[in-house]
Formats: sequence, structure tokens, C-alpha cells
Amino acid sequence: MSGLGVDAPRGLNPQTHARWATTTSGRLAAYLGLGCAGLLASLLLSRPEPVVLAAPLLLAAAVGLALARPPRLEVEVRLDRDRALAGEQVDLEVVVRALRPVARLEVEVRLPPGLVQLPPAPEPASSLAAGEAYGYHRRLLCCRWGGRLVGDVRMRARDRLGLFTYREEERHLLPLRVYPPPEELRRLVRPAETQAFIGNEVSRLKGEGIEFADIRAFVPGDRVRRINWRASAKRGQLHVNEMRPERNADVVVFLDTFTDLRHPPEGLRTPATFLAPERESSLELAVRAAAALVGLYLRRRDRVGLVGFGGTLRWLRPAMGERQLYRLVDALIDTEVVLSYAWKGLEVIPRRTLPPRALVIALSPLVDERTVSALFDLRSRGYDLAIVEVTAMAFVQPGRREAEKLAYRLWGMEREALRARFLEMGVAVTAWQPGEPFDVALASAGALRRGLRVVR
Amino acid sequence: MTRWISPWVVPGAMLAAALAIYPAMALQAAPVLTGLGGLAFVVFIAGQTLPVPGALAWALGLLAIEYLATLELRGATVDVAAPGYGAALFLCAELGWLGLEAKDGGRLWPGRAVAVVLLALLGGALGAVLLFLAAAPLAGGVVLTALGVGAAVAIAACLAWLARS
Repeated sequence: MSGLGVDAPRGLNPQTHARWATTTSGRLAAYLGLGCAGLLASLLLSRPEPVVLAAPLLLAAAVGLALARPPRLEVEVRLDRDRALAGEQVDLEVVVRALRPVARLEVEVRLPPGLVQLPPAPEPASSLAAGEAYGYHRRLLCCRWGGRLVGDVRMRARDRLGLFTYREEERHLLPLRVYPPPEELRRLVRPAETQAFIGNEVSRLKGEGIEFADIRAFVPGDRVRRINWRASAKRGQLHVNEMRPERNADVVVFLDTFTDLRHPPEGLRTPATFLAPERESSLELAVRAAAALVGLYLRRRDRVGLVGFGGTLRWLRPAMGERQLYRLVDALIDTEVVLSYAWKGLEVIPRRTLPPRALVIALSPLVDERTVSALFDLRSRGYDLAIVEVTAMAFVQPGRREAEKLAYRLWGMEREALRARFLEMGVAVTAWQPGEPFDVALASAGALRRGLRVVR
Repeated sequence: MTRWISPWVVPGAMLAAALAIYPAMALQAAPVLTGLGGLAFVVFIAGQTLPVPGALAWALGLLAIEYLATLELRGATVDVAAPGYGAALFLCAELGWLGLEAKDGGRLWPGRAVAVVLLALLGGALGAVLLFLAAAPLAGGVVLTALGVGAAVAIAACLAWLARS
């Protein structure tokens, strides 16, 4: 039996006296009934044959009743790791140790949504002697990101004659965190303003740095090493170079969790369709993009925060470092849509979550009025805002009738008008189609921002 | 996987047919009783193919009634083939229930097959011993009948006690 490593996460149930739900086969009642009828008939007919016919049936019933004992099992569930990326495979092992012989045992592990067993084979049955252990190995495909609990084990045992069936459900839940797959990003949206700490972003302000900004006339107090001798010689007066410092930025990823748009179902969802980017829902796309964004901004030494704006508000204040990356990604994979009819605005967001001069990158299908209103409000308050719109129209079919097609076109025009309103306010809105690399949408947003005058 | 007809139906039906035919062939049963055997066979097949709970037990009961009625109506002496008939009836019952369990995805496992065969043999042997004891030249009477009743009640009580424990 090939086991998983000793460091593998495991769930062990110390309680071995499980409460088994017992069901009795109809055979037992039939054998007892026919057997007793045989005994009675023998007395009534004064013949031995009815007893002779009843003998095997009564013997089977007696042996079955005498041998029937509920199983005593120890169950241990192991995963080879507790973190994985979507698309990766995880090994699951269920080890069952019998403290009492079991004639036949079937073990089934109920998997939470987002995990698929590979290959989807039926669970084998086995018989166990006292003290014997058996390991059920399964390879699981992580189809969708999210926090999962694995270890809902269902067991079905039979006695030697199959007269009794014992069922038991044990939960040895082990956490498995499935992270979105990494997204290749070559460039990021540059913030309009920077903060005070050293980072990778060239500041628009002048100061100590290595990026050349301008030259100006020498004033007392300037460092001699800053003198631009060539310009000074040409102009006959001392001139010094002015530099731009490299600073970090505050970036807040604003995730719209009011709405999750899904494609219409096309047959059964197989592992292939689960993992197909063009079949992802709008929230799945947004979370994958957000995970890529926070990772790259944090690598640039920026402070990154998160606002999950939806039925439940989730936020993380901007911070930097590896720990913040884990906090953010853990918060992202727990993202879900919670239905709410309550109106929510920016006032519900804690003040320090949105620091002044922060770049806010919103990932939203721009479908819910509350999100749209909050984004307008953000821009009105002077935040540097960029919106990546997960295109809602890609999730909706235009319909067949003329009226439906007209409604679809009108809806498209409404959305165009909404984008134009944002552009008028200096907010770059870029559409991201499902199946398209996020890098393309981000590059488009960057190009759009260069053409816009981003002011406070 | 749910199946309408399991592979155990054919051997079970063949054994049921053999049990239904045996009284007519070996004991020259009356046509009415042969019809009863035919009815038992039909009920057996219905129990295997249609969702009729309890049909299998009725089929087994009808087969036993056909056999015993034939013996009684002919006024025959002790049938030495009775232990074999009893073992075959038990095997037929097991095959029938295997067929029903197979519909719900149940399978026969080696331990159960061995146990069923052993029980059939042991049941047949037990029946033979009982038949041998019944053939002993003892005069009947109230005492012996009371002993028989007591034995029957004791067997039923033992089974009830086992079922409770």
C-alpha cells in the first residue's frame, strides 16, 4: 500500500464505536416466515418433509443472526497537501482499519463541488480481517478555486450472508485550498500618484532617485555631483540634474461580488469544461484576474488591499509583503456571491481600506446598480480609478425573435453609454471578454489611461 | 448501475422451473398441482423482472406447497429426495435474492458464495438427519406431538432471541 507522506494533512476519528444504521434484508423475514410455516405444517400434516424443506432456510437465518455484528472501524483520511492550484491533481487516501472482521466493505468519499475524481471509477469493495487495514487511493482534479473540505466518507458494510447492511457516514474534514491558476501579466496599470515609501514606480514628483526628470539652475545647497557639466558649459551657468524618485503605490482591488454571470449550460460539465477559461463565470474570471494583479503589484513592493463589494462586504487594508499576498489570495478564494437587496454605498467601506492617492482597480461586469454607483462615487472623491469590465454581454444570448434582438442591442447601447460616462470622468473602462488573456485587457486599460487626463 | 434483469435471473429461473416440474415428473402430481408449480414459476419471474416486493417469498412458498400437497394427496411414504429438494429451494431463494440485489448494484462476493453453498449442503445434511430420525419406528402419541410443538416453539424462540441480540 503506497501511503502518503507523514507530513500529509490527515483526519483521524478516535471514536471507533460508530453508530451504524442497520437495514435488514427481506431474505431474513422470508426465511423465518417460511421456516416457521414449515414447522407448523409438519405438525399439522404429521409429515417430516415440511421440516426438511424448512431446515436450510432456518439454518441460514440462525447462522446469519449469530454471525451478524456491526463493524468496528478506524478511518483515517489523508491528502498529500492542503494547497493546490486549479487544474492540479491531489492524492486522497482513505485508510480503513478493521477492529472486527468485515465480510464486505464499500467506501465512498463524497467530494465537494469543484473537485472531480480521476478516473471516475466505482469504489471497489473489500473484505477485511480483524486488524487489517485497507487504503482507498483516489486522485482528485481541482477544477475550481475555492476553500474546500474533503473527507466526507460513507461506508457500507455487509455481513457474511448479506442479511444485514450497515451504513455509516463519517466526516474527517480536511481543508484543501485551491488557488486560481497563475495569470501571465507583462504590464500593470500604472498609478497616477505614488506614496512615500521606496518602490518600483517612478514618481511624478522630483526628488532623490536615478530616473532623470529635468535640469535647472544651480542653487546653493545643491550637491556638486548633481551638476550637469555639459549643460552648464553650453549655457555658461551651473545647472543641475533633477531626478524622479522610485516610490511605491497603494493599489486597491475592488471586486464586484454582487453579481456572478454564468454561461448557459451546454450538457454535462466535464473536467475539461470546468477548466476551460471561456466557460468560467464572471466572478471566476474576476477572482483569477485579481489574484494575478495582487501578486504582481506586491512583487513591485506596492501596498495592495482588497474590497469585495457585494452582499457581504469583505476588505483587507493595503499592506505589502509575502504575508499580505497569502492574506489576499486566501480572501479571494473565499469569495462568493451573497444575495442582498440592501442598498450599499462607499460609506460601508472602512476608511483606511481606501487610502488617499490609491489606485483602485475595479473588476466588475457593471451590471449591479450599487456597484456602478459606488464606482462613480469613488471617482467623484478623487480616487484614481480603472475599471476592467468582465463583459456581461458575452454571457447572454441575443435571442431569436426580433424583439429579443432589439432588446439585446438596446442593452448594448446602454452599456456603451455607461462606459462613455466613466470615460468623461477620466476613468478608463476596458472590456474583458471570457477566453481572452487578462494581460490584453490590462494593456488596453493602460493605453486608455495614457490618453486620458487622470486628475484628482 | 440499475439493471432491469440481472444475470442471476436465468439460473434462478431454471432452478425454479426444475423445482416446479419435479413433483409432476417424479411424484406424478395432479394437473392442478402442476398448475400451482407453473404459477410459482411465473411469480418467481415476476418478482425478478417487475417491482413487486415479496413476490419471491410467495414463489418459494408456492413451490413448497406444490411439493407438500403432492406428497399429501398421493399419500406417499417419506420422500427421500426431500433434503435435496429443500437444499435446491434454498439455492433458488438465494439466486432470486441475488437477482434482486443486482438490480440495485449489489454483487456476489466470494465469501458469500462459499457461505451459501456450505449452508445449502449443511441444510441438506440436516434435513437428511431429520428424515432419518423421522423414519425411526416410534409410536406416535400426545407426548411426542407435544415434544414436537415444544421443539418448534423453541426454534422460533431461539431465532427471535438471536434477532433481538
